[in-house]
Amino acid sequence: MPEAEWMLEVRHITKRFPGLVANDDISFAVRRGEIHAIVGENGAGKSTLMKILAGLYEPDAGEILLEGRPVRLRGPRHAAQLGIGMVHQHFMLVPRFTVAENVVLGSEPGSAGRLDLAAARARVAELAGRYHLDIDPDARVADLSVGQQQRVEILKVLYRGAQVLILDEPTAVLVPQEVEELFRHLRELRQQGKTVLFISHKLDEVLAIADRITVLRRGRVIGTVAAGEATKPQLAEMMVGRPVLFRLERPEPPRLDEPAPLLALHDVTCLEGARAVLDGVSITVHPGEIYAIAGVEGNGQAELVQVVTGLRPVHRGRVEIFGRDAAGWSVARRRAEGMAVIPEDRHRQALVLPMTLWENAMLGSHRDPLWRRGPLYRPAAIRRRVAGYVARYDVRTPSLDVPAAALSGGNQQKLILARELERGPRLIVAAQPTRGLDVGAIEFVWSQLLEARARGLGVLLISADLEEIMALADRIGVLVRGRLAGELAREEATPERLGRLMLAGGETA
Amino acid sequence: MRWTRGLLYAAVPVVALVLAGLIGAVVVRTTGGHPLEVLQVMLTYNLSSPDSIAGVLSRMTPLILSGLAVALSFRAGLFNIGVEGQYLIAAFTASLAGIYLAGLPAALHLPLTVLAGMAGGALWAWLPAELKVRRGVHEVISTIMLNFIATSLLLWLIGDVFRDPTQAGTTRVRMPEIAASARIPRIHGLAELLGIHLRPSVALDWFFLVALALAAVVYLVLWRTPFGFELRAVGLNPEAARAAGIPVPAVQRKALLLSGALAGLVGMSDLLGYFGYLDIDFPRGYGFTGIAVALLGANHPAGVVLASFLFAFLQRGGLGVQALADVPREVITVMEGVIILTMLITSAVAGRWLRRWERAHILAGQSAGTAGGGRTRPDAPGREEGHHAGA
Amino acid sequence: MPAHDAASPALLVGLVALVAATLRLSLPVLITGVGATFTELGGVVNIGLEGMMLFGAFCAAWAGITAGPVAGIVAGALAGAALAVVHAVAAVRFRVDHIVSGVAINLLATGLVRIGSYRAFGTATTSPRVEGLPALPVPYLGDISPLVPVGFLLILVVWYVQQRTPFGLRLRACGENPLAADTLGVNVEAMRMTGVILSGLFAGLAGSYLVVELNHVYVEGMTQGRGFVALAAMIFGNWTPVGAALASLLFGAAEALSIQANVAIPYQFLEMLPYVVTLLVLAGVMRRSTPPAAVGTHYTRGEE
Repeated sequence: MPEAEWMLEVRHITKRFPGLVANDDISFAVRRGEIHAIVGENGAGKSTLMKILAGLYEPDAGEILLEGRPVRLRGPRHAAQLGIGMVHQHFMLVPRFTVAENVVLGSEPGSAGRLDLAAARARVAELAGRYHLDIDPDARVADLSVGQQQRVEILKVLYRGAQVLILDEPTAVLVPQEVEELFRHLRELRQQGKTVLFISHKLDEVLAIADRITVLRRGRVIGTVAAGEATKPQLAEMMVGRPVLFRLERPEPPRLDEPAPLLALHDVTCLEGARAVLDGVSITVHPGEIYAIAGVEGNGQAELVQVVTGLRPVHRGRVEIFGRDAAGWSVARRRAEGMAVIPEDRHRQALVLPMTLWENAMLGSHRDPLWRRGPLYRPAAIRRRVAGYVARYDVRTPSLDVPAAALSGGNQQKLILARELERGPRLIVAAQPTRGLDVGAIEFVWSQLLEARARGLGVLLISADLEEIMALADRIGVLVRGRLAGELAREEATPERLGRLMLAGGETA
Repeated sequence: MRWTRGLLYAAVPVVALVLAGLIGAVVVRTTGGHPLEVLQVMLTYNLSSPDSIAGVLSRMTPLILSGLAVALSFRAGLFNIGVEGQYLIAAFTASLAGIYLAGLPAALHLPLTVLAGMAGGALWAWLPAELKVRRGVHEVISTIMLNFIATSLLLWLIGDVFRDPTQAGTTRVRMPEIAASARIPRIHGLAELLGIHLRPSVALDWFFLVALALAAVVYLVLWRTPFGFELRAVGLNPEAARAAGIPVPAVQRKALLLSGALAGLVGMSDLLGYFGYLDIDFPRGYGFTGIAVALLGANHPAGVVLASFLFAFLQRGGLGVQALADVPREVITVMEGVIILTMLITSAVAGRWLRRWERAHILAGQSAGTAGGGRTRPDAPGREEGHHAGA
Repeated sequence: MPAHDAASPALLVGLVALVAATLRLSLPVLITGVGATFTELGGVVNIGLEGMMLFGAFCAAWAGITAGPVAGIVAGALAGAALAVVHAVAAVRFRVDHIVSGVAINLLATGLVRIGSYRAFGTATTSPRVEGLPALPVPYLGDISPLVPVGFLLILVVWYVQQRTPFGLRLRACGENPLAADTLGVNVEAMRMTGVILSGLFAGLAGSYLVVELNHVYVEGMTQGRGFVALAAMIFGNWTPVGAALASLLFGAAEALSIQANVAIPYQFLEMLPYVVTLLVLAGVMRRSTPPAAVGTHYTRGEE
């Protein structure tokens, strides 16, 4: 029986959501034993496509062919039976379960009345050995590093006999060296005859690992190219639909003689139980400076933001804001003194999603007398003011009365920027400010931060995106396990050096 | 868009009520009655004369207050199930003031007595508030426990400690009479001015108007003051509220205390307007009906007033039905649970549908003229937070 | 010495009686608390257990009087499960807030039992006498209900089902990370609903025991908050069946002690004891407890 040339074919797939077409007549084909990359910016329809292939969504139109035969995926379990497995980027594990329990969940060895955990352990150990994915089946997932957790995800699909592995943004949470290791695993899988679908928006990585690349934009396929013949600018233009500048304007801030720092952390230590989540961290942010914190997530970045914004107590050391000791300052006090905050998680920390756009625009300054007359709010005046925000920050919305939940991610972030910057702050704490945004919105956020810098504001930027850090930062501190592993000036920083710092801190700690 | 949306949301309780009515009809059938006859009896019994309408209104008073108390806590993301216990304790503290502050002029004595009631209610809400804020004990469990404790405590206080000595030797277990200066006057005089003559047996008192006024006050506080803004923000997303500098525990504590103070008013009309003393058979269940009232009223003061009318209508109608249509009054008790469930399910289904509709409209508006502008959408499978109780 | 000799048998008898009373009195909370682990491990809060127990109690009385104690017990358990179906549909299928739905279930149960009792017994408040099962003679402890050993056996069964079967693994996954379970083809909705219904079955069984074995009569409001106390016991027991059972025994001992102790405090304070203990226990352990990560949340695939 001759093997079909195409392992997986997608023909004319269309998927609509209320108000938009996420996938619009998508067609492409994947060869057996190749690493095929799907690239596109956020919102291009990659995730929707992957969820269709994993059986999580059902397409409205079109068909999927597996080894030349049309198949209808009736659910994730059915997709797995047919040999399609999805490696989710994270959060698809049960932290309290062991590796073995996570791997076998849903297809357990044993009978309905008895779960054979010994068989599960043996099977996981065997698979891990065969594909050189070193892992202890009895370890609790909560205790594993991010890279190890990813291996568990890969084991999950191999356990189910996957021939096609779909990896959704697998490098988003890895440091450069871990990425290299992942790529070794993927080449190993390819060698053993597996087909890999690699979803990403990072062009360098895609060019490094993929055999062929399919580009999506706005729910449509723009084209499929061989990786050997493609260049980065060419792919970027396909992705965005216009030439992309990889250089930003950096207007210079006013020169100050011996500028006093706006924010200074002196030897700050924070404990979580007995564990130090921040360990002797000292940093300063000056006027007209963007100080960036780099590092793999989960190394104290979130805690650092909490300490600076007043959400977490300091156990040792001192935080100085605008030159004064901020011990005992509440969140409200810090904001009143001139600190603006762009939280990491828009939906959880920055917005009250069911509240209206204009109410969200007041959040944080809602006690300000400018919104009210006497004890009562003045709706008309509020609306006028917020209408100004919406116009100046290009928040696209049909009305001020829509709930914040109904805005797109980019427009939500613009609303948050408007709210925070219109208060006239001196210091901005921006945590992952462009996560999940498309190129247009990213450019907007970056230019706003650079403009703030040019006006002499200080910015503390926390980002997992090295590209963002390289584009914006004046100085870069690397956090590893709650410690500042090193600090580089803009001129000294390269992705390789930063990657080494991210790992080195981990090895010596 | 704003109005269509409002209209659609307002349709939800109506649909829910129709569904509940259908289920109610089935229940009535199983007890051997005729649904249409029952409805007819209720309508004539409740609405045929000024007296009967006033009877319905007088039943609304405790329900409005109880509904407001529950709704206020709900808006803060808390679930005060303890209104029941809080108004019982309040009835006791108000009785103390009503009995032992006798001699004060009515203009002082009555407000003080009512304040004593509010303080008692707030006190009984303060315990769960502290347990919640300091120890993380869910207010639902603690307030339920405190309801039981309040019942036992009250039996002891009324029966053993503050029992009216003049009743010793009789089977009546009650506290002494509350002084006349602390009684709430009937509304008959005002009605007379408007040309409506009410029979003396009608129990409608001035507290009905107080309850209505409080509904307006609660509305203003929740939607037109910074404190109300904070309360609602905490209820909808405590994490974002905290990040925005709102002291979440303090707001939660205040919300529960205010809810308790409102709960303290629930029994006042019965205590100071009708009975004039506290006995062990003091009316029960307003706290639980208040939950139904708040939910049916979508936790909005205006909705609470409307829902109170419905439940007062049902409760008074139940009496008429029992007497005139030979259908057990208990049918009405079931209806409370049925109405809540149909309301919840209808609004959950409709809410999902409405959100979809909204998103479609808004995204359509946004993508028009978007140049690389935001099109990210929450398409990742995810969980929805459980506590959107205030919606 | 003689004084000591005379005292110790009396003390022993008292102690044995206390143990027997503890077993008898803790069983309703124990069964409900052990069953409650099913709903919570699946990720659903079920505050309606109180109503399910009450509805179970009424149905047990009704069936017990018409068809004997075994039928009564079965009917009670099934009645609890039936009411749990309503909660499962509302909270899981229609994603109504778990707490709100539970409260509605309790109100619904209060109404249902009143109508039912009115129809079945002619009064809304009490039933005629309900005969129990033949008692089991146990050395030292005297006659005990056969449901007592059954209840203790259930602890082990529940533990096994949750920890040693594929169903248990999947159920727990739904309570920890429903998204992960869903991507592996586990039917999250079905799992969660099963968990809720099992907890209702246990609560109904507890209600049966209350009527058929403990009091031999149905009285309105007889569950007296035991459903809530059971939830507290489960929390105190850190979401494990064995822990929940131990906590229930503690509550039962407090109740038994308050009944047996011949102290000069008003009976109303003895009545309050279980609730006060519950509050104190929760105040003590709540901060240190570790509920399932996704408990109380709704799960959607986000395709809406």
